[in-house]
Amino acid sequence: MSATQIAGRMAGVDAGAPIRQSSLWQDAWRRYVRNRGAVAAGGIFLLIVAWCIVAPLVSTHDPNHVDFANAYQGPSWSHPFGTDQFGRDLFTRAALGGRISIGIGFGATLAILGIGVVYGALSGFVGGKLDNGLMRFLDALYGLPYLPFAILALAIVGTVDFWTMVVALSIASWFITARVVRGQIITLKENDYVRAAKAVGVRWYAILGRHLLPNTLGVLVITIFLELPGVILGEAFLSFLGLGINPPDASWGSMAQDGRDAYRAHPHIIIIPSLAIATLVLCANFIADGLRDALDPRTKET
Amino acid sequence: MAAYIIRRLVWTVPVVLLVIFMTFMLMKQIEGNPFRQTERAVPAAVQMNLERKFSLDKPWYVQYANYVKGVATGDLGPSLVLRDRTVNDVVKEQFPRSIELGLLAFGWAVLLGVPAGVLAALKPNSRFDYGAMFFSNVGFALPNFLVATLLIYFVSVKWGLLPTSGWTTWEHKILPSFTLGLVPMAYFARLVRGTMLETLQQDYVRTAKAKGLRWRRIVTVHVLRNSLIPVVTAAAPLLGYIITGSFIVENIFAVPGIGRYYVTAVSARDYSVVMGLTVLLSIIVIAANLVVDILYTILDPRTREART
Repeated sequence: MSATQIAGRMAGVDAGAPIRQSSLWQDAWRRYVRNRGAVAAGGIFLLIVAWCIVAPLVSTHDPNHVDFANAYQGPSWSHPFGTDQFGRDLFTRAALGGRISIGIGFGATLAILGIGVVYGALSGFVGGKLDNGLMRFLDALYGLPYLPFAILALAIVGTVDFWTMVVALSIASWFITARVVRGQIITLKENDYVRAAKAVGVRWYAILGRHLLPNTLGVLVITIFLELPGVILGEAFLSFLGLGINPPDASWGSMAQDGRDAYRAHPHIIIIPSLAIATLVLCANFIADGLRDALDPRTKET
Repeated sequence: MAAYIIRRLVWTVPVVLLVIFMTFMLMKQIEGNPFRQTERAVPAAVQMNLERKFSLDKPWYVQYANYVKGVATGDLGPSLVLRDRTVNDVVKEQFPRSIELGLLAFGWAVLLGVPAGVLAALKPNSRFDYGAMFFSNVGFALPNFLVATLLIYFVSVKWGLLPTSGWTTWEHKILPSFTLGLVPMAYFARLVRGTMLETLQQDYVRTAKAKGLRWRRIVTVHVLRNSLIPVVTAAAPLLGYIITGSFIVENIFAVPGIGRYYVTAVSARDYSVVMGLTVLLSIIVIAANLVVDILYTILDPRTREART
């Protein structure tokens, strides 16, 4: 290519319509914003999180204050969500419960992601016999119910706090994430820029850290919101079975359990935290759908 | 194909051994054993005899080997809490009810979920489609303890149509199985809709249309048959859902099945029952996976070359 040609090209770029430069994330954001359902879900999700953070700070009610004179009250101005069997204000408690439910949800999701990335990247990057073995193992375990193992893990530790709950919920839930990461790594490995990097002698950890893992980020973001609903429901199930976080702390699941015996006369105690879980899970599902369409347009559902 | 099936079969053995091992090691982490630190002080000699009877005095690998031998011969060992009863007795008594509950739930899902998905796909973006997908989204999101409570509150308490709990007559079985079937139902509706829409765009459907084949025949012969193959693969994750859900549903509706008993056994510290049930459930899921993978290879020839 001669100097004049290059100059001509550059001039052409300058003179013609500007080529829109946009990164993957800017493109994704544009696509996400166009999806009204996903935007609404994201907004509600953020609102719930914000409410959980702010409400206990500004509330005038002590969430653990027992007041039998005011037990089992329905929703009112001073107690928007009513009170429970001990007369505790459910509005404040629901916000605090949300902190725990959502906190455990994200904690366990990140743990699942961590295990999944290590296992999947190892399998996909090393390949060969190791990959074959690790994947046959996953094939066989696909769909293994996490609940019995979570219950076992909680039975072992005895006292249930934030971290034991995170471990219990992630111990048998990472199989799908590992498979997804492995699939990504396998596909990315075949790209020319990876081959080129290998050819010029880039070390394996640099290839993994600079070329492969950053490119799985989009899928990982989707995975966060795909895994979150299951984990939040799992925590709620465990709490509902009486294996939840120890009182006086409460998650939405253990609040629902509190309302279990009084559901005939005072259904609001079980309905409010359950609906909070349902709303959050519904939003997370919509966000996951929106993110998938935005970050991975090839797999767009019709 | 035979090579794939054999390889798949062979791999199942170490996986089962590993799952038993993991469960076994988890159980070992629990402090002490059921014969120690109880309210009633047991004389040292009695305790030693008890430990010998249950091989608790042997090193862990001997116990593990014994246990694996037991599992292989279908003997899950004695219960540590219930006298004169084995884990097998518990399984024999409780398991059929759980299987029945699971099958009924699955029945609801196929009965309502699959047609909903088919109809939604035949009229995409119609009112019915939106309704079905809305229902599917909500079905995924509602915690089953809320569904169960609402059903009991309205159907049983307010309207007095069905009993609140128990597992004797067919009337007792409607609410629990419906509650448990809700997530699979939502899953089927969405999955079938997706695969149907995909199949409807295939060239052979267009060819069939161009040939002048009746629409009804195209749908039943060409579209439905091919759209339902991916549903087979959904069986394994759905089994996981049903097992997980049964823990809650059996608990709320007082169904005397495995899921409810599991929680009872954990709080009673009946470790051999807990371990036996965990191993049993895991083996069932692993076996279901195996069957699904093999079925899939047979049903969809395209996967034969792709999978190694």
